[in-house]
Amino acid sequence: MLLRIENLKVQANGEEILKRINLQIKKGESQALLGPNGSGKTVLGQTILGNPKYKVTEGKIFFEGKDITKLAPEKRVKLGIALTFQSPPAIKGVKIVQLLEKISQFPIKNLAEDKVPDGKNLLERDVNLDFSGGEKKTSELLQVLALSPKLVIFDEIDSGLDLKRLERVAKTIKKEFIDKKISVLLITHSGAILDFLKPKITSVMISGKIICQQKDYKKVLRTIKKYGYEKCKKRALFSN
Amino acid sequence: MAMRNVKNAHYFQIDHQIKNISQVKGVEILSSLAAWKKYNWARKYFSLKPKEGYFIWVKKQVSFPLFTCILLCSKNITQNLQNLLIIEKNLKISFQGTCQAAKKNLLGAHEAQGKIILKEGSSLKYKHFHSWGQKDIVTSCYEFFLEKNSKLDYVFKTLSTPRKLRINTSFNLLTGASCNAKIVANCKGTETEIKDNLILKEKEASGQVQIRLVAREASKVSAYSKIEAQAESRGHLDCQGLVLDKGSEVSLVPELLCKNKKAQITHEASIGKISQEQLNYLRMRGLTEKEATNLIINGFLTL
Repeated sequence: MLLRIENLKVQANGEEILKRINLQIKKGESQALLGPNGSGKTVLGQTILGNPKYKVTEGKIFFEGKDITKLAPEKRVKLGIALTFQSPPAIKGVKIVQLLEKISQFPIKNLAEDKVPDGKNLLERDVNLDFSGGEKKTSELLQVLALSPKLVIFDEIDSGLDLKRLERVAKTIKKEFIDKKISVLLITHSGAILDFLKPKITSVMISGKIICQQKDYKKVLRTIKKYGYEKCKKRALFSN
Repeated sequence: MAMRNVKNAHYFQIDHQIKNISQVKGVEILSSLAAWKKYNWARKYFSLKPKEGYFIWVKKQVSFPLFTCILLCSKNITQNLQNLLIIEKNLKISFQGTCQAAKKNLLGAHEAQGKIILKEGSSLKYKHFHSWGQKDIVTSCYEFFLEKNSKLDYVFKTLSTPRKLRINTSFNLLTGASCNAKIVANCKGTETEIKDNLILKEKEASGQVQIRLVAREASKVSAYSKIEAQAESRGHLDCQGLVLDKGSEVSLVPELLCKNKKAQITHEASIGKISQEQLNYLRMRGLTEKEATNLIINGFLTL
């Protein structure tokens, strides 16, 4: 098992956000995590990466069998975990190329020209400063690719993209990660990207709890569309 | 903005001794004392008979940057420099001035007074780099005189701060002259005082002064920045500070003085801390807290 999360409880500003989360991701597996806004999906992604803003009060996170619950974020990255941010902060005066030079496992030229379409247009710009929604996604993709990870968590990588751009982002994720047997967790509230990437397992999170898991993502999307998230746990279809 | 190799300097001084002067066609380079003796007219630019320093008179266009380097290499030396740079009419010149200590523990002092004259229609890109040991004391007072329609791009950057640093810079602008000045100091364990004064003397003069200051390791940093508009002109001050640790402080005092009803002068000033969100973002890209902090500071100091 690549990632194993056991009974994880997480607080932010004294408020409990995640309530006994259990999740496992195998090597080379792609999974999706669906849920409405504010359900705790982003907090889970950030907690797996070790953002100090979120405090683990109970439970453990294991990566390749190693307990990483208390590990610094940068050490988790070194182990092979990467995350794309939904709303990455701007860093004035720091160019994308400078950041990539510090973190990249590959030559930048190869990364920005061959692997990520439009990547080279961002290299000389300040990190996330005045980026459009699409440019932010491109920049995040470039950065996680540079890290050569074993597991990538894509937090709302599909939000705010038109269909053409969504397809391009999905193609890059498939070609550079899924086809190369890099494990992927797709966090999304719309599910728009799932048709392109066809995850093996789809979980649904509501109010800080994973309420169900399913192998057929289409069934999950259909049921959410028909009944809404709140009805999910009442459907036998979705029970764990 | 990397520092250049001292061996390429057109004027190169170590302690009190001139090591090299490379003459360039169309440019006269002398010691300030030699210029004082040779040119009566130059005397008005020196406050006293100069002991040391350079005189550079650019009379014709040169296609490469002019470069001066003044080093402290021995212990307990006090340099007392008077520098004069004159750019003749309509020339476009790049210039780099480097002042630095060769070692960290020299207990040296560097006192410099400079006057830079930009004649009508000329243009100067001036990069001014300082780098000192933690026990040095440095005072640097530069006055820029921008004649009609001349243009100055000035960057002053301290790469390593001394124990005490005083920077005093004034920009005097005549009709149609423009000035873009950037003053950047990454202060570690230092007392730093920066004073800058942009004086818009005649109509259509315009200037911007940007200041970026970082205070850490018990640094006390203050900046007094002033724009004085005496004629119909435009000016802007942009001062920002970052305080990194306990015991460090930054004080920013912007001042605007307007003496003409058609002038427009503005300022913005802010002091903050490193953004936790940025720090966490970079750590989640694999940088350590220290690496992330340094990258954010470098970005802050990049203008």
